[in-house]
Amino acid sequence: MATGYAPSSMYRSREGMGIWEHKGKVAAVGVGHSPTERRWDERPETSVGAWSIMALRNAIADAGVEPDHIDGIVIVPETTTGAFWPDDKPLPQDVINAFVQTDDPLDGVAKLSVEWLLKNMPELTNINYSVYAPVCMSNALNVAAQAVGDGLAHTVLVLKAWHNLEGRYYQGGQNAQDAIGGTSAIRSLWGAPACYGTALQFAEYCRKYGKDHDMMTPFIINSRRNGLMFPEGYWAQHRPEELTPEDYQLARWIAKPANLFDNDIPIMCAASYLFTTAERAKDMKQKPVYVLNHVDSDAVPRGLTPTLDEVEAECALTGRKIYEGAGITAADLSFENMYDGFTQFHQFHLEGLGYRGIGFGDALDFYQTDISIEGPNPVSPSGGNIGSGRSRFWMHTDSIQQLQGRAGGRQITGVNAEIGVSGGPMPLGGNYTVWSATPD
Amino acid sequence: MTILISFDIDGTMEIGDPAGAVTLEMVKTARAKGIITGSCSDRPMSAQRAIWEQYGVEYDFVCYKHLLSDLKTQFEVEEYYHVGDRDDLDRKYAIQAGFGFFWPDEAAASPLLL
Repeated sequence: MATGYAPSSMYRSREGMGIWEHKGKVAAVGVGHSPTERRWDERPETSVGAWSIMALRNAIADAGVEPDHIDGIVIVPETTTGAFWPDDKPLPQDVINAFVQTDDPLDGVAKLSVEWLLKNMPELTNINYSVYAPVCMSNALNVAAQAVGDGLAHTVLVLKAWHNLEGRYYQGGQNAQDAIGGTSAIRSLWGAPACYGTALQFAEYCRKYGKDHDMMTPFIINSRRNGLMFPEGYWAQHRPEELTPEDYQLARWIAKPANLFDNDIPIMCAASYLFTTAERAKDMKQKPVYVLNHVDSDAVPRGLTPTLDEVEAECALTGRKIYEGAGITAADLSFENMYDGFTQFHQFHLEGLGYRGIGFGDALDFYQTDISIEGPNPVSPSGGNIGSGRSRFWMHTDSIQQLQGRAGGRQITGVNAEIGVSGGPMPLGGNYTVWSATPD
Repeated sequence: MTILISFDIDGTMEIGDPAGAVTLEMVKTARAKGIITGSCSDRPMSAQRAIWEQYGVEYDFVCYKHLLSDLKTQFEVEEYYHVGDRDDLDRKYAIQAGFGFFWPDEAAASPLLL
């Protein structure tokens, strides 16, 4: 069974597509996580492959299904954005030998294939549908929802995992080469850090609307607070440090006006969800969380970095697509878990949604109100990447757990958890899922 | 002679992530010699305070490493040093602020800490 990337036809990228044809007919049931670590210690049992298997098995157990009932798998094969195995670094042969291998020695070490997973999870005997989704769990969720809805598989595991190696992030790969191809050469030539583009957009945002960086403070503190109540997350597990206004406001600039704490911390981790039909979900161990819609943003900026105008236009379009396909309005959202890794994405997403009636330029003022999980307007109850480290999946786990009523200390209490939305990463180029406690 | 030594944490001290060559005992030894000590790290300042308190080591200051020059205005001593593991952050900011600079293994072998 050769696995390829999901075709573009599986994504809902356009406005005007109407209500999603499978609205309420697909559900997430099981959630599985690995532990987290800052970096890999190069032991087999903590490799990205081992932790992927652990997350998958945890999701299966959480859903209470037999492994041989699972007939589909959707994974993200890339396991990093900035920690690439150095060309001159010897292969970790003892780790490779600890697992059933594929032709690629870095499979399970610095990348993942379906073939590797199935070789090392012999209990998955009935997989007859597999597909790759690029880059993010957000993308994989869109694909899994559509696959179940279309009947390509009835019980699907979704997986995203991250490795992180010794040394500094974004210092390897093409950044370590003498030459860089494509348009990235133009930015990389000047050493722009990853958050540079978003910082530019945020600078223009502040100028346009008369805001400033310090106004981000309540969002940062709220995100870390929520993250510290996320037992699966990095900060909760390893460094339970709250942030104070002083901590945030005095931190050094990475790309002004984005400082150190506007960036997320790269970590190792893996997460998996079990998707199935609404009908089958009724008999599983956890409360089903129904998918009302999924949305893709495939906009291409006119230049190397999207302008603020482009960001706002695309976020507004994404918001309209989210509501159109789910058949809901902004007023129906109990909470939002849009992406935050860089923090300065979040206000764009929030304003595009029109969350709690806010418009463009309003989010930073909104942050000065009660955005806690106890209040009427919970913002990022997951805490996101800022609250738990770079995974791009905390928002999805939290959304499912909120609607299942098992978010623990993070459970929102100011409003009933009925409908939520999660997704990202980029304002131009992201994937979103609308979740609901009920199918309609 | 009055001396101030600022310690980076991650990659510099034994309690850092990754661990470095400078031990808490070395910091205590420096303090016993009358040296003013504290941390200048990228870790949140509130977390830096918590670390010193967790390990029961007294400290005179915490700050961010890019604020070393501000730190200099708060303590009038004859010699200022920063210990860190990164050229582009620790060494750069130390030099800009007029601090002497030690790599962690140099500091661990310095008579100031032994």
